[in-house]
Amino acid sequence: MKKILNIEYQKHTLQNGLEVVLYKDNSLPIVSVNIWYKVGSANEIEGKTGFAHLFEHMMFQGSKNVPKERHFRYIEEAGGNLNGSTSIDKTNYYETVPSNSLELALWLESDRMGFLLDALTQEKLDNQKDVVMNERRQHYDNQPYGLAWELIFSNLFPRNHPYHWPTIGWMKDIEKFELDDVKKFFRTYYSPNNASLVVGGDIEYDAALELVKKYFEEISSGNSIPKIQVPQTGLEENKKIIHHDNVQLSKIYLAWETTKLYGKDDATLDVLADILTGSKNGRLFKSLVFEKQIAQDIASFQYSGNLTGMFIITATAKPGVKLDEIKTEILKELRQIEEKGITASELERSKNAITSSFIYSLQNLNSLVDQINNYNTNLGEPNSFIFDLERMTNLNIGEVNNMIEKHLNKPFIELQIVPKEAEDETE
Amino acid sequence: MKLNRSAAPEAKGKLEFHLPEIKQFQLNNGLKVLFVEKDNLPIIQMSLIVNAGSRFDPSGKSGLAYLTSMLIDEGAGKYSALELDNEIESLGSIFGVSTDSDLIYMNMLSIKDKFEQSLELLTTIYASPLFTDADFEREKKKLLTMIIRNYDEPSYIASTNFRNLVYNATPYDHPIIGTLKEVETITNNDVKHFYRNTFSPSNSHLIVVGSITIPVLEKKLNNYFTSASFELENINNISTPIENNSNIYFIHKKGATQSEIRVGHLSNKRTDPDYFAKAILNSILGGQFSSRLNLNLREDKGFTYGVSSGYYYNKNYSYFQIATSVESKNTGEALEEIKKEINGIKQSISLEEINFAKSYLIKRFPAMFETYTQTANNLTSLVHYSLDKNYFNNYIQNIENCTKDEIEEAARKKIKTDKMIYVVVGDEEKVLSQLRIISDSNIIELDKFGKVKTSKSY
Repeated sequence: MKKILNIEYQKHTLQNGLEVVLYKDNSLPIVSVNIWYKVGSANEIEGKTGFAHLFEHMMFQGSKNVPKERHFRYIEEAGGNLNGSTSIDKTNYYETVPSNSLELALWLESDRMGFLLDALTQEKLDNQKDVVMNERRQHYDNQPYGLAWELIFSNLFPRNHPYHWPTIGWMKDIEKFELDDVKKFFRTYYSPNNASLVVGGDIEYDAALELVKKYFEEISSGNSIPKIQVPQTGLEENKKIIHHDNVQLSKIYLAWETTKLYGKDDATLDVLADILTGSKNGRLFKSLVFEKQIAQDIASFQYSGNLTGMFIITATAKPGVKLDEIKTEILKELRQIEEKGITASELERSKNAITSSFIYSLQNLNSLVDQINNYNTNLGEPNSFIFDLERMTNLNIGEVNNMIEKHLNKPFIELQIVPKEAEDETE
Repeated sequence: MKLNRSAAPEAKGKLEFHLPEIKQFQLNNGLKVLFVEKDNLPIIQMSLIVNAGSRFDPSGKSGLAYLTSMLIDEGAGKYSALELDNEIESLGSIFGVSTDSDLIYMNMLSIKDKFEQSLELLTTIYASPLFTDADFEREKKKLLTMIIRNYDEPSYIASTNFRNLVYNATPYDHPIIGTLKEVETITNNDVKHFYRNTFSPSNSHLIVVGSITIPVLEKKLNNYFTSASFELENINNISTPIENNSNIYFIHKKGATQSEIRVGHLSNKRTDPDYFAKAILNSILGGQFSSRLNLNLREDKGFTYGVSSGYYYNKNYSYFQIATSVESKNTGEALEEIKKEINGIKQSISLEEINFAKSYLIKRFPAMFETYTQTANNLTSLVHYSLDKNYFNNYIQNIENCTKDEIEEAARKKIKTDKMIYVVVGDEEKVLSQLRIISDSNIIELDKFGKVKTSKSY
């Protein structure tokens, strides 16, 4: 079964530093072009947050040879789909097109890597500032529990830490984006030597490489990338935050700082999360949702970046249930694992589910190619599916049990999101 | 030498795409099967669908279909709820249930090696659910809490109320998950009765997409799908909708920083011949990023993160809907722009726009069969809307055949300004005065559950 996770690929590095990975799968006449720029909100500074995410917008506003509004149009006309995303450490851009339009996708991606600033105007910036502010309203400010994420990050990490602010940025910073700052940010981070390109799907290796060289080779490399300054982290004591929101049900979030992406315990914490809340038999789900029925839902996960990571447990209280009761039960279940451990069958069940999920994840070319780029960018080896899976399937019970003492006995953030006021409404 | 980048590269060469062959057969117990063999990966996707969606909720018991679907995998055969879940996860299979207004879907995705065990569990869930009182009480409580939670969501309030208004006086005019008041009255006997009156093989279809051959599949399915078909009580209660006249409905959401907007009206059946003309029309108006609405409201005005339009189909009707979320202060202006775009598209559509939309719809066709799940969903739509079995074979030709006249006629006749329903969810302090300026019709205030508020004088 694992054999199909062992993918073949070619890797090249162009003169300008751009890493290029080619992956061939001719089963459908589609091809996916995927670029990771190694720039995320962690590369921003206090007072100027949200730039990396803003670029995810500006990159679709046209470049020297691509008029405004044409980027989307070209891809849509070709029958493709496209998007981008921004995280704390990276920004990615991708399009999946019929394979005879590969050259179109490379033309578009290279034009905005090499020649974006030639077409960047104040008018475009002002328009996209409005769009981003509305994105922030829609997904955070006007969304029930929408501010949870930034409340956790900004309390877990000190003000001068690169993970202190949300990827979309603070509203007050978005409002005052300046064209010059935006241009400077682009020149600093959006160069071929700070990017990784994967072309995957219905291709032939030589022809694809030739096309990539044709469009990307002449883009000159940029200066070396400024190093991120990372201050000391670590809470000295538990910290409790109570936030009032437009909601009727209370929700609790517990967050511990843990370990970074692909760090030693990163995968072990993934497995722990699955054992706690991955299914109806998950320890926390079974206790709080199924048996005691004090929570409506419960989730846990390890969220990790290049600098550090966090383990989060979050639950919604049933009407009338106090969050303190939920918290007590969660901590009780963690103690239980610390003292008595998980069982062999729990670990086996998790491993089976995780192994299958790796196979299922190969179905979609766009997400497969994105994963290849993740492995290339973060591990330097595109073919890391088996390595990644075995980080989890090679674990033993003791290693998982150990996570509680090692990471979850430390001081943590407790965020409570509670109703603003009793709403005077009846059906 | 510098590359000349000024012109977009043309597509090179013709694409080879072979539409998967759809096979149909019937099991000994009457269950109809649609199957596509697909073996680029060692996996098999099954979707078992039953005509038991929320439109079959008895009067006064909205949410019954949904609650039945929540309970369907809470224990079956010899397994309790937790044991059943443990069996499925240990196989590495993924099981999920969902419900819409027409159908209940039970989906099982498995690795090829675990297909037979996964199939056995799926048939157990389908034919032998336990429906114990303890499981019923727990899931009912969960559903009631889910309803409370959903009504905190401005987008849910807007979409649900819009849908209820356009489907006025039909079995589609209530929320799929039900209302608090009515779910309260549902008993476990209601669930059992609903199940016994819908989950017959003769009232279900099975979709299979995966790495298996048809003789092997047919044999295995007949081994496990053994429950007999049975007579159903007549519960097909489709009535003709009573269309509301064009009105603005406003729902107050205290402290909202944006207004959720829904605009649209009732539309016709999925199998009507104007389907393709409407698909092209919609793609131009709001069906893609480069549509008139999005280029105006987002890329020009910056009022919103995005706006889209679509035709949303169920078995008997459909509705046309424009949806967006805009900053409160731009609510009135955004509505004006939406009206402008609606009137504009009824005036004229260019051949360039039509060719662009056709290109988009035709060239993305192969990608619609990329994943096992997508392929299964395509087969499901054949069953759901009773489409012709050559629907996908004729798809591209049908798009190509649409003439400019047909598309313009669809715009003129099928976008009905006199029946246009506007639903706005926002903060009344910031929004109501804007609505009064733009509206020549009544503004009807609703509470979040859709009840008309006693009128205030302004």
